[in-house]
Amino acid sequence: MSDPGQNYAAFNSSALLDFVGDVTDESLKATRIKQFLSVLAGRFFNWAGRKSLFTLHLGIKCCAIEMAASAIPRFDAERFGVIFRSSPRQSDVLLVNGPISKKFADPVVRLWEQMPEPKYCIAMGECAISGGPYFQSYNILEGVDTVIPVDVYIPGCPPRPEALIDGFGLLREKIIRIGGAPGGARGKPVIVGED
Amino acid sequence: MAQMWITMGPQHPMTHGLWTLRVKVDGETVVDAEAELGYIHRGVEKIAEARDFTQVTPYCDRLCYVSAMTWSSSYIYAAEDLLEVEVPERAEYIRCIAAECQRIASHLMWLGAYGPDVGNLTIMTWALREREMFLDLLQELGGSRMHYNYPRVGGVTRDIPPGWSDRLIAKTKLFEKRIDEYEMLLDESTIFLVRLQGVGYATAEDMVEAGVSGPNVRASGVNYDVRWTHPYSVYDELDWEPAVEKPTSVKGSDCYDRYRVRMEEMRMSCRIILDAIEKIPGGRNTTYANGDEMILAKAPTRAPEGATGFSNYECTRGASQFYIQGGGDGRGKNPYRLSIRSPMFITIPFVAETMIGYKVADIPAIMGSFDPCIGETDR
Amino acid sequence: MHISREQNEAATAEAVAAADAAWGALGVTASSVAHSSGHGYAFLRLTVPPAHVVTVAKGLKHDMGVNYCSMITGTHFPDGGAERGWEVVYHLMRQPVHNPEPNTAHVLVASELKGMDLPLEIEVVVPLPAGDEPTVPSVQSVWKGADWNEKETWDLVGIRFDGHENMHRVLNPHDSPEGFHPLQKQHQIRYHDFNEMYDDAQGFVRKPVDEGRVK
Repeated sequence: MSDPGQNYAAFNSSALLDFVGDVTDESLKATRIKQFLSVLAGRFFNWAGRKSLFTLHLGIKCCAIEMAASAIPRFDAERFGVIFRSSPRQSDVLLVNGPISKKFADPVVRLWEQMPEPKYCIAMGECAISGGPYFQSYNILEGVDTVIPVDVYIPGCPPRPEALIDGFGLLREKIIRIGGAPGGARGKPVIVGED
Repeated sequence: MAQMWITMGPQHPMTHGLWTLRVKVDGETVVDAEAELGYIHRGVEKIAEARDFTQVTPYCDRLCYVSAMTWSSSYIYAAEDLLEVEVPERAEYIRCIAAECQRIASHLMWLGAYGPDVGNLTIMTWALREREMFLDLLQELGGSRMHYNYPRVGGVTRDIPPGWSDRLIAKTKLFEKRIDEYEMLLDESTIFLVRLQGVGYATAEDMVEAGVSGPNVRASGVNYDVRWTHPYSVYDELDWEPAVEKPTSVKGSDCYDRYRVRMEEMRMSCRIILDAIEKIPGGRNTTYANGDEMILAKAPTRAPEGATGFSNYECTRGASQFYIQGGGDGRGKNPYRLSIRSPMFITIPFVAETMIGYKVADIPAIMGSFDPCIGETDR
Repeated sequence: MHISREQNEAATAEAVAAADAAWGALGVTASSVAHSSGHGYAFLRLTVPPAHVVTVAKGLKHDMGVNYCSMITGTHFPDGGAERGWEVVYHLMRQPVHNPEPNTAHVLVASELKGMDLPLEIEVVVPLPAGDEPTVPSVQSVWKGADWNEKETWDLVGIRFDGHENMHRVLNPHDSPEGFHPLQKQHQIRYHDFNEMYDDAQGFVRKPVDEGRVK
């Protein structure tokens, strides 16, 4: 509790706070209130955050042009709360919109790891789902889900901007469904157009 | 002051694609720059060796995804040179009109991406709104908004639908007025002018020596255009001139000249479209059935070993070339070697050198003015 | 306006004559070949032995005004025989581009172009003997545009360019294995054989080993 490097024996307020926090934590855990609160808070957090999905500004290939097209007034993804952010630290959703080459596999994983929880991944377009027309290539991975977990698949080559907005809608429903499960259990991935 | 290398990494909002630009800066001044490509290298040249000549067309659409029609047409001209096919004239007219629509759509995408680079977000909404008009027209021809798979060896897949020519003429005439609106917005904006003028000088001879072509060279005052120096399609029958812009200094053209030449090119494309749609053989209101000899000629599907085909085509970003060697798998059904020449692959190292001597804040302006599209670069 | 067929044929014939006069003794064959479709314009095709590539390149640049190196293609012919195991094809252009005075445009008029100002398309074919280390002298010092073209040809095909400074991988990752040049014919693409993926002729049933395997 107290730092051996400290050379004063005075009353240490941070040590008191740590002690009180530990005692409260133990008692909440014992009465299972902590679990209940975290699930409730998680659900509330998801309910609030699902309509404000900040997407990373990542443009890999052709689907990125349809991603840009979904932000223009004709399709207007911004009215659904989808805004593009430049930094992975500020974004909730990694929208992978192109094939992942061997050179880019490492940067994509690093971008994914830099994103803070809760984070979601959308694989947009055939190339991100399974390698697409380049599945036979020596340089393209067979889908982005070989390196990072994917929540929503949006088929198409390229998918129309309406399909992308539908994908965001299905992601919103999924966020509510998986609730605030601690540990980030993802559940089954959703495929746009499956029903 | 200490110098350091900054990596404008693969994920960057202003690089128009997935590539790394490493700049060495001394304070705010760029001292050296290096481009690193290959993040979306898909090996299309290798995959094409396992595909039919018709099956390669969708891959060529996806090379430069912003201007798909010009790239698949460019490949088809090389395949026709290889297979020795005579294309009917109506098909050539349709390809020409589709390519010019695509050129306008591509320049609008460039404008829509370039404005935000230099701080003008309005032009993105305006330019992409007009781009949707041309994408709708091309969707009626090809079926999809972006990758049309429309040209075939010997012609085109389907004829222009009924009423398409009326829509085309109406939209093109509307668009000509909209270009004036863009110029009103941008040319009277002090910030835009200050960010673009005096930045990124490059001379015509330096560019040609480095292998740059297309609107970037025409911005430096020489009206070299593959459409008249090595004529293909029906450009020799239409009334048009290449858009050229006077360079502002002995150091060459700056970013503002490159922006102006693309605006003039859009106007010129409108002129070509309106001229071609009137001169189209068979009339603009008739629609022939798929596979009719007016729009598609019978073409051999196999190329013997030793045959080669080469096409030189004015794509939106420069001169693209395809070189196909016949005699591949399937007793010549597949190409033995498909080699793609991408103008941007050569331009991007040149752009990296152009940035030397300017400030870090000028990097997006210079980079965007050369109109990079990484899909064709990495093939 | 456009370059007429007569101008094009005159330019190409003149180039053939100049090439024969300058390099005929070195074993360089020059011919005027017409495209087989479209407008059928002619281009100059030179077949050059690898030893004389730099001589021909310099001559093209300084005497014939060829200022644009467009594309360098390398091909692997495992069945091409001892003389043509590999081939490097250079596509070059002569472009009448000269710096204009500031604030003026150098507007070319097609019908007024003549002599060295006529655009010309050149194809230089260099057959290389079969072997494991095909080498051709580099033209990086002649045209700046050849720089990245040669890097790409080495990266993808494996043809070495003697005298090329700062050769490095441009498209494949930098940590690709030494000697991995994917466009060589012994490398097969993934799933190159139909049987590799599917159990049945129509391609509906994937092999049991692939059942349920996402990737």
